[in-house]
Amino acid sequence: MGPFELRTLKGLDLSGCTDIMGYEALDFYDVDSLLTDEELMIRDAVRGWVDESVIPKIENACREGVFLDEWRQEIGSMGILGAPLKGYGCPGLSYTAYGVICRELERGDSGIRSFASVQGSLAMYPIWDFGSEDQKEKYLPRMATGELIGCFGLTEPDYGSNPGDMVTKATEDGDSFILNGAKMWITNGTIADLAIVWAKLDGVIRGFIVEKGDPGFSAPEMKGKHSLKASVTSELVFQDCRIPKDRILPGVKGLRGPFSCLNNARFGISWGAIGSAQACYDSARSYALSRIQFDHPIAAYQLVQNKLAWMLREITKGQLLAYHLGKKKDAGEWIPEHISLAKMNNVDIALEIARVSRDIHGANGILDEYPVMRHMANLESVKTYEGTHDIHNLILGRHITGIQAFTKGA
Amino acid sequence: MKVAVLIKQVPDTTAKVGIISGSVDEGAISKWSISPYDEYALESALSLQSGSGATVVAITLGPERSSKSLIDAAAVGADELLHVVHDGALGSLSLQKALSEAVTRVGAEVVLVGKQAADTNSGSTGPGVAKILNYSCVGLVSRIEAGSDGFEATRSTPSGIERVSVKLPCVFAFDKGDVELRRPNVRGIMMAKKKPIERITLADLGVDSTGEGVSTTSVDYPPEKPEGQRFEGPDSAAEVATKLREEANVI
Ligand SMILES: Cc1cc2nc3c(=O)[nH]c(=O)nc-3n(C[C@H](O)[C@H](O)[C@H](O)COP(=O)(O)OP(=O)(O)OC[C@H]3O[C@@H](n4cnc5c(N)ncnc54)[C@H](O)[C@@H]3O)c2cc1C
Repeated sequence: MGPFELRTLKGLDLSGCTDIMGYEALDFYDVDSLLTDEELMIRDAVRGWVDESVIPKIENACREGVFLDEWRQEIGSMGILGAPLKGYGCPGLSYTAYGVICRELERGDSGIRSFASVQGSLAMYPIWDFGSEDQKEKYLPRMATGELIGCFGLTEPDYGSNPGDMVTKATEDGDSFILNGAKMWITNGTIADLAIVWAKLDGVIRGFIVEKGDPGFSAPEMKGKHSLKASVTSELVFQDCRIPKDRILPGVKGLRGPFSCLNNARFGISWGAIGSAQACYDSARSYALSRIQFDHPIAAYQLVQNKLAWMLREITKGQLLAYHLGKKKDAGEWIPEHISLAKMNNVDIALEIARVSRDIHGANGILDEYPVMRHMANLESVKTYEGTHDIHNLILGRHITGIQAFTKGA
Repeated sequence: MKVAVLIKQVPDTTAKVGIISGSVDEGAISKWSISPYDEYALESALSLQSGSGATVVAITLGPERSSKSLIDAAAVGADELLHVVHDGALGSLSLQKALSEAVTRVGAEVVLVGKQAADTNSGSTGPGVAKILNYSCVGLVSRIEAGSDGFEATRSTPSGIERVSVKLPCVFAFDKGDVELRRPNVRGIMMAKKKPIERITLADLGVDSTGEGVSTTSVDYPPEKPEGQRFEGPDSAAEVATKLREEANVI
């Protein structure tokens, strides 16, 4: 048993203080001073919620592999779902505000941010952009409050990076469509009230809204993840699944449908990953200052300072990247390649920062007393989903050279 | 019924406070927030609003930056906002006079305030305003409920719980209660931006701050905390327990 220290709290009234040792968000260049008053208030509200409702509960939720239903309710009542969408009960915020929300949520856990990304960018957005008036009115207001949960089914067991070759099929049958096939790795699947499912109708990719309980539809949960444990991941199985004709999204055909959703979700991830990185930096910094080895705090050694300085450098660059991309998105002056660069870079540095932070924590770094190993494991998923790191390299490569390198011999 | 909540903007409890030439270095404070006890006063006012349709008027006195506290109050539901704009030090008597005039101006018969501000900790505002206005005053309140003829207030301390009934007009000074503070949602934040803030000065309230009896001479850091004491091994358990009970008063 180690030595135990007793400090008398003489003359200090701490009763009014809520969280003295709270999270200090690294913002070396004061990038947040560029946010509007509203964006700052939203940041503080979400940050406070994460402190109170995510941080104390997340390790247990991960151990049990559950996404708490109270998180759904509370995120819903904060009114942040589908942040940049306007009308139909949606918040109508800026893309920058959406980014800030993702960053604050992911500082808590990538699984919580994934819930919000999927709901807002992958399930609400396609209804909002490509849905009929009836579909928008039926689903969006209740999705904005978190009453209805959505998921997004694009990936299949045999088609991940190349969804264009998907085999899930829709056929017309009188007043219905019949869906057959299977989707895999679907976030929120099992807890979702509706799924946006991408399937081929006469060889053309179309979006369909499948509701929980539709005949021939099931969404078994995938178990055994070492990453994103507080997020539900599922298969979606369609066996002669019959849905009414009015559940097709009328407004889009082809890969443009799912890809426009992914652009928005990837934008959010480019901010979100910075939240994870900030959490890992914050933990590394305070650990390095308090951990004594060879008679000095390890923060006093040049090698450790080099690691912290590198983290500060990469986080600051990532913050500027995310902020500027937010402004471009708000101004409508962006191309998908801008988003690819930010998603790829910010997730990449966040994962590396998580690894270095884990190293600074020594053996303690592997414990769930510290958030770093959880963030590190989460970020492995984040690196892969929404276009793997290398798929974004290929997108940029095509942009630079004009030559696509996704397929061989084309 | 109009309920006034007196809100003070103070350095956030997470902000580092420094001293420069004998006074607090305000420029170096990174974050300002509503004083925590005032948040409980505000929360109680908002539950009167939803429970008995009270109109909640948030009042602050302070420099330009303190209007942020009013916007924060509006984001959780305050109906009207009044900012007495005043930069620089102000003695407690002038402050109480100004706030009393502000309460009269908005026509509130019930005033909710924190039992003390988290920065100065003097605890004089609630009782001072009550005295000037000739309102009854109840301190260390953790909860109030509107009754048929005034209010039922609960004063709860570790050594016991007291319930008192209070007639209007009155001032309640709030302690940290067991109620959960509401968090602003996006809708509240967007509406707060549109809510007008009435801005007035001490002169508008007819308050002259020159004849103040109390003024701050200097501010210093607290004495260094004594060295921690170290204990090792299971044999020290009894001694540690005694010290925790008798010196630290934590068990
Ligand atoms: C936790 C989690 C949640 C997810 N949630 C969803 C969801 O909600 N909805 C959904 O539809 N999907 C979801 N996904 C799936 C995710 O989008 C896919 O995993 C991703 O697109 C990659 O597909 P894959 O796993 O099949 O990998 P593959 O495509 O098989 O890739 C394997 C490796 O090969 C590389 N590679 C592939 N093609 C090329 C190429 N042409 N050139 C060079 N390298 C290449 C990749 O970069 C990668 O390193 C989720 C995944 C995870 C892990």
